Amino acid sequence: MYKKLFKEDLEQFTSTLKQFGSIYGPVKKTSRGCEFTELTDFKDLQLNYTRTMIPPKKFFLKPKEPLYSLNKDAGFKEIIDDSKTVLLGVHSCDINALNLLDRVYLNQFPDLHYKTRRENTIIIGVSCEPDDYCFCTSTGSSHALKGFDLFLHEISDSYIVRVGSMKGFQIITQNKHIIKNPSLTDIKEFKEYEAERLSKITLNLNVNGIQDILDLSFDHAVWQENADICFGCGSCNLVCPTCRCYDVIDYLKLDLKNGLKVRRWDSCMLKQHALVAGGLNFRPTRVERLYNRFNCKMSCSEDSLNCVGCGRCTVYCPADINFVEVLKQVRED
Amino acid sequence: MTETENNLKPRIGVFSLTGCAGDQLMILNLEDTLIELLSKFDIKSFQEASSYSENTNLDIAFVEGSVSTEHDLKTLKNIREKSSLLIAIGDCAVNGCVQAMRNKQTSIAERMIDVYGVEDNIYKTFEPKGVGEYVKVDFEIPGCPIEKEEALNALISLLNGDAPLIPDYPVCVECKLNGYPCVIIEEGKPCLGPIITAGCDARCPGLGLDCVGCRGPIKGETNAKAELEALRKRGYADKYIINRLRFFAGNFDDIQILGVKENSKGDK
Repeated sequence: MYKKLFKEDLEQFTSTLKQFGSIYGPVKKTSRGCEFTELTDFKDLQLNYTRTMIPPKKFFLKPKEPLYSLNKDAGFKEIIDDSKTVLLGVHSCDINALNLLDRVYLNQFPDLHYKTRRENTIIIGVSCEPDDYCFCTSTGSSHALKGFDLFLHEISDSYIVRVGSMKGFQIITQNKHIIKNPSLTDIKEFKEYEAERLSKITLNLNVNGIQDILDLSFDHAVWQENADICFGCGSCNLVCPTCRCYDVIDYLKLDLKNGLKVRRWDSCMLKQHALVAGGLNFRPTRVERLYNRFNCKMSCSEDSLNCVGCGRCTVYCPADINFVEVLKQVRED
Repeated sequence: MTETENNLKPRIGVFSLTGCAGDQLMILNLEDTLIELLSKFDIKSFQEASSYSENTNLDIAFVEGSVSTEHDLKTLKNIREKSSLLIAIGDCAVNGCVQAMRNKQTSIAERMIDVYGVEDNIYKTFEPKGVGEYVKVDFEIPGCPIEKEEALNALISLLNGDAPLIPDYPVCVECKLNGYPCVIIEEGKPCLGPIITAGCDARCPGLGLDCVGCRGPIKGETNAKAELEALRKRGYADKYIINRLRFFAGNFDDIQILGVKENSKGDK
């Protein structure tokens, strides 16, 4: 279903979202851009943004979160955050990344913490403002087909609204006084604006058969060259919208009876990631970890790449390692 | 408390070599927990807390300060002999810290002239090093000073029979977990976060300041050359970067070998 919302009605529209939970949206934080922040004033909302450093996965798989409280006599008690949230202004790449996380955290063995927050969160997408680091057209993630409740596609004076769920339909219904039907001119504009947006994504990575090329290139010189300049700091993983490894730590109280089981994001670039019981580390060197990361990102999970082409790992690498450039060197295109 | 109960408590000692005694102070700063800690441990020696001291066998010895004199070395060896576990607390004990910043750069004689105006090594000092250079160290808690929460968690772990959990990943991880903007990428500041041991919860970058490296580089994981390159690219002179790296980590081999490029001039 396609509808239309005038930009001048966005404030009113946003205010009606409060009934579904606390609203978070892109708010200007640094010279480089915005971060998803609780919206206390509509004026802070910056729907025209390129990318946040920390992807919206932080709302579902939290950077640090208590999982269980422990008591030696009473056992475990789950700690569930069931607060209601509305995410306003999520880009297609990040929505596609959440769809990937869903497969890991919802299928087969659902993660109660993730599942609860996914169910308690409304996602409203918005069309993006690509820069030179975006390559989502190469990874097939420049458009979101599912994983959102509403999606706002910007045209000149309004948004074409795509409805993606029953909750989205409910929001539209509640706002029917400001929700219109798109005209033929609007549809023409929609096509023009989408074509214009896609034309800005000029970085291209040939992913055809890249899995085999990587398998055959484990001893390529490019890995050592980049491992030599890599800090192994984990920033690439921690800003990645599809990275989903975590570590779990038990914190005991001094009484040795009570404690907390805490989960935090992990990174396969860190030494401890591949450390297993008995002290064996199956990726002891930085070059092995670097190769593994590229290999993981370019491998497929149910026919989708584990990379959505958002460009964060390149933008936020303190050593300026360029993800696409490294893969191009491996391909030797 | 009966004598038997007291005997079951681990006997601990907190000792100081060359340093500012700031790590002992951080343990004393655990004010809300001190009473409970006293009920869990039998403290045999703790210079900064009490004049009482018992020269006896210990279950755990915590040692702060670097080894920079014969006296330090003698004290350290005595502690090691009498203790089941020896834990280095603070950068001085872990790697020598600030007093090691000129190691292998200037001789003791040069330093004597600079500071005291005489060449004679009247205090019989030698290049300050971490305690691990001389005796076996079981665990290390880094920091200048240590984080009191980290010290408390280490004490709890030991009490429970676990190894203390000390991060072996850099400050960058904590910046990202907290969502702090990267001061290198956003502002081109000379942050040492990518090579420095986390555990401070990225306190300085969280305030918009560049990490000076007070928790020391991650042993065995530090790519000091990459840090030099990353800061060179952002316009900093080699001398400035190397001095900055040496400030808390003069004893690290991969920092000692960094050379100043001939054409590197002017500090940013």
